[in-house]
Amino acid sequence: MATNAVSVRPRSEAMVSSAACMVEMRGITKAYGPTLANRAIDLLVPRGAVVGLVGGNGAGKSTLMRSLSGVEAPDAGSIAIDGRPVDLRIYDAGEAQRRGIRIVHQELSLCGNLTVAENFFLETPEAARPRPGWRRVYRARARAALDAVFPGNGIDVDRRIDDLPLGQRQMVEIARAAGAPGLMLLVLDEPTSSLDIERSRQLRTFIKERAAAGLAFIFISHKLNEIMDISTGIVVLRNGAVVWSGSTDISAAALVEAMGGPAENVLRSQHARVASRKTMVLRVSGDIVAPLGRNLEFFTGEIVGLAGLEGSGQKAFLHRIFAAARRKDAGVRLIGNASFVSGDRQREGIFAFWSVLANMDIARVAQRFALRPFRDASDEGATRDAAHRLRLDAERLASGILDLSGGNQQKALVGRALITDAATILLDDPTRGVDVGAKADFYTALARSAGVGRLMMWHSTEDAEFLECDRVLVFSRGRIIRELFRADLSEQAIVDASFAEMTTATNGMPSAAATTPTRRRWAETALATAPFISLVVVLAVLSFVNPTAASPFGLDLLLGPAVALVLVALAQMFAVSGSEIDLGIGAFAGFVNVLSATLLVERPLVGLAGIALAFMAYAGLGLLIQWRKIPAIVVTLGASFIWSGVGYTLQPTPGGSSPDWLTALFGWSIPGIPTMAVLILLAGLVAFALDRSPLGVVLRGFGNNAAALNRGGWSPTRYAIVRYLIVALFGTIAGLSLTAINTASDINAGGPFTLLSIASVVMGGCSLIGGRVASGGVVAGALTLSLIGAVLATVGVSTDYNAAVQGLLLLLVLILRSGLSTRTADQ
Amino acid sequence: MNSVGNLLKLLGRARWIPSFLGVVLLWVVLSAITSRVSLQSLSGVLATASFLAIAALGQMFVITGGRGNIDLSIPNVLTLSAYASLIVVEGQNGRLLLGFATVLGIGLLIGSANAVLVCLFRIPAIIATLASGYVLATATLLANRWLVSAAVAPALKYVAAARLGGIPFMTLVAIAAVAAAALVLGRFVYGRTLSAVGQNRRAAALAGIDVTRVVASTFVISAVLAALDGWALGAYVGGAFPDMGTPYLLQSVGAVVLGGSLIMGGASTALGTLFGSILLVLIVTTMQIAGLPPGTQDIVQGVVVIAVLGLAGVKRSRAVPKNLPSPATP
Repeated sequence: MATNAVSVRPRSEAMVSSAACMVEMRGITKAYGPTLANRAIDLLVPRGAVVGLVGGNGAGKSTLMRSLSGVEAPDAGSIAIDGRPVDLRIYDAGEAQRRGIRIVHQELSLCGNLTVAENFFLETPEAARPRPGWRRVYRARARAALDAVFPGNGIDVDRRIDDLPLGQRQMVEIARAAGAPGLMLLVLDEPTSSLDIERSRQLRTFIKERAAAGLAFIFISHKLNEIMDISTGIVVLRNGAVVWSGSTDISAAALVEAMGGPAENVLRSQHARVASRKTMVLRVSGDIVAPLGRNLEFFTGEIVGLAGLEGSGQKAFLHRIFAAARRKDAGVRLIGNASFVSGDRQREGIFAFWSVLANMDIARVAQRFALRPFRDASDEGATRDAAHRLRLDAERLASGILDLSGGNQQKALVGRALITDAATILLDDPTRGVDVGAKADFYTALARSAGVGRLMMWHSTEDAEFLECDRVLVFSRGRIIRELFRADLSEQAIVDASFAEMTTATNGMPSAAATTPTRRRWAETALATAPFISLVVVLAVLSFVNPTAASPFGLDLLLGPAVALVLVALAQMFAVSGSEIDLGIGAFAGFVNVLSATLLVERPLVGLAGIALAFMAYAGLGLLIQWRKIPAIVVTLGASFIWSGVGYTLQPTPGGSSPDWLTALFGWSIPGIPTMAVLILLAGLVAFALDRSPLGVVLRGFGNNAAALNRGGWSPTRYAIVRYLIVALFGTIAGLSLTAINTASDINAGGPFTLLSIASVVMGGCSLIGGRVASGGVVAGALTLSLIGAVLATVGVSTDYNAAVQGLLLLLVLILRSGLSTRTADQ
Repeated sequence: MNSVGNLLKLLGRARWIPSFLGVVLLWVVLSAITSRVSLQSLSGVLATASFLAIAALGQMFVITGGRGNIDLSIPNVLTLSAYASLIVVEGQNGRLLLGFATVLGIGLLIGSANAVLVCLFRIPAIIATLASGYVLATATLLANRWLVSAAVAPALKYVAAARLGGIPFMTLVAIAAVAAAALVLGRFVYGRTLSAVGQNRRAAALAGIDVTRVVASTFVISAVLAALDGWALGAYVGGAFPDMGTPYLLQSVGAVVLGGSLIMGGASTALGTLFGSILLVLIVTTMQIAGLPPGTQDIVQGVVVIAVLGLAGVKRSRAVPKNLPSPATP
């Protein structure tokens, strides 16, 4: 790989002596496969310093910070904090936090399903006590931290993160790390990308104040004016190495040059293209061009840049054009096909199991009729040609895509688009994390392809790249606000246009933030109350048909069979709070039913040992799911066979009896009060308390944003085990209740509870993905489902229909919810 | 070192090899330690495995589609189709075509319904098919009531039980189905796009693949294969009973996973699914020969599936980034 000559020599190895250093990193080296992301980096952060860390995309900043914050161990090098060396073998995110190092990540690491205060708890859990009112301290802490950094923010600390606009989320993220007790060094990775100018100024004021008080900061930003304003020293990274470090008396231009920035003459010189006959292939009208006041037309042979602050609607525009190729869109008229190239290779680009050739070929293959035979080699000519144009070594076409470096992977993806017949090629930040050499090859290929009659729509996060374009559209708040032509193109012009609207804005990023929460809240209220309304309806129908059902005795009789379902549903709820589903929980309850009606009666000690063993097995399942990263659904499905197999072995035919103490536990009664209702209420309250406790919050956090919790020092393995132990606990009580209430056992009794528990959880207003659960709703849902059987029986419908009614009900609820969620998501 | 690397590469490409070796190994061990296994019993194993293989092929298509998709309605589709064919055909050769049409119709209808639930309403596949399975269970109970006589059409019965040179006819059918599936997966545009969808759904959509259509098709394929399988199974056992599909719930998944296909989708092997089916049936048969009670057989099957998943799990997680939907922010 070509390593460009470093144009600015490092001025000094170290800016200060190591004694005064808050953090001292020496010789940090880290490789990802063939790519060396960090090579022997030295970084010294003195007390009271604000170190500006700059470098192009993929320069190695994030990797370096991952080493510092303990998320990933470096391959070589040493770290010392406050003069004390760190043992890298035991250094992890939790240890880094204990040593006073906090990081505000570029991607938001908040849990959207939790409130602002609860997210503060996740960052600093030490002050939490498992008793009611534990949130109070975090509410106060969140309030204080937010006010300290962003005076007058007006953020309600009891609101869920999902309900906050992006700018406010970023404020919470920053305040959370900045307000942590014992903080010594705060790393801010692109902290201002979603902040408006006023909030950004507040943040910088805060940093200056705290730095004066002795705190250290590392400030990472692409906005060089911010870096120059705030830093006491600057370190420039390029291709994984420090290429310059020193104080702030450097000009912005020199900084940009050190970063490897705009080799403007190189870009422009490539640009002499053969003007081919231009045909219009894209026409955009409607709301999106309203600020311009005219429609836009695009022609083959053009390279069009999509600029603006990140997240101003450039990506959405590309996706809209891509969708217009298959679905009619009144505002976007596309003639001919469109191909998409994403810079997010991992998530939107590569197919990891395939060779480079197959990866390049797929877009062409996809255009063909599904039942046509094809051979790998059939497109090799075109593929080789494209590879040649991109300077991708043809020898490597047969190797696996993952064996290539990021830059070469990206070349393959560009090649994928180039070998299709698409007239329009949509490029979504295609050079992200690509080295300089590959970029140059990419620019050449781009210019050539445009020259042979294609339209290139190019979104980039590097403003310098727009100098390569024929014209540039500047986006703001999802609309095109300026059109810059080649003659007026300069980085300054683009930056000016991008910021033009932002200066007048009061609240950060473009979004329909004002309307979304109200809509969503309405839908949520409907979902949250639905289970209770349906329960009331079912009860009303029952007491109308059969008035004795409303008496305490009648209720007791009706609710008896519901107890086990409520408990199984609550067990399922704790699985769902982790975005997982347990397909074995019903069989497990059936197994405990059998165990407690046989072994526990005959040989209590053996029976207890059996239950203990079952708990361990469940914890083992949690461990296996987390450790081997296999879907919980399949593992628990397999486990369901084990539970029912063991149960069947213990007791092949229904029978057994209930231990006396167990019968007594479920069989007491207070005159005038239905015992079963009390039991159900009790179960609901326990689940509610558990779910609202600090532990429950962590479990839900894992269901929403496991990666962030992991980065924050929470052990996924430990909480996977705890989660499944809770599931097993409720499942066990469910099995015991079956024994106590039926005074007998049947291994087949548990099975049906699995579907019903999922149905209860869904009806109760929980989402299957995202860690949002509600214990009250689950209890109501389970009761409704259980009583529906009674309703059917009283109106004379055969029990044969029970399964169908339950299945259809579950589908109905899911369909209704899917309708609601797409409507709110569209906003 | 290099030869080990090559061997691993071969195993990566030919995913069916471990299950094939498993079959051979288990067979050799069995013949060595007991005289009760013979070629005769192998033929019985093959017949049973053939029915499993056909259902498992359908499951394999669903699993290949990725995102943890699994079709849990297979046992119910299979049972319902066995009943429906008996009711429609009434034991007469002349009505066989009608029976075939009914079975095919059931498969297409249920497959499409599952596809709509998963693709249009975005219900997780497991939940959608579990629920539709419940609805079908009721339908089966009703069919059980309507069923007057369990007479199988003589022609069908003859074909289902026929042997060619000692090999059950159904095994030839299963082999043909496996060959067809292997061809579709490996040599047709459809198989290529399905693998892409299973590996990385977003990338597949951006590469121009109609993801919805591909995923939907897997559910139709699965239901149709299960329906046809139920038809043949009904003829083979000479009737229908409510629990006839139950073993196929876990075993269809087990055969796919045992065969070397990845549970998270994207990479599958039809041949492996065949060997996986044989291996699973061989394990069950072994347990029966050993006189293990049915409960223990269930336990062993559950353990085998979890163990294989556990062994196969990490390979995937290291090689491939998570392409599950990120629920964090919209």
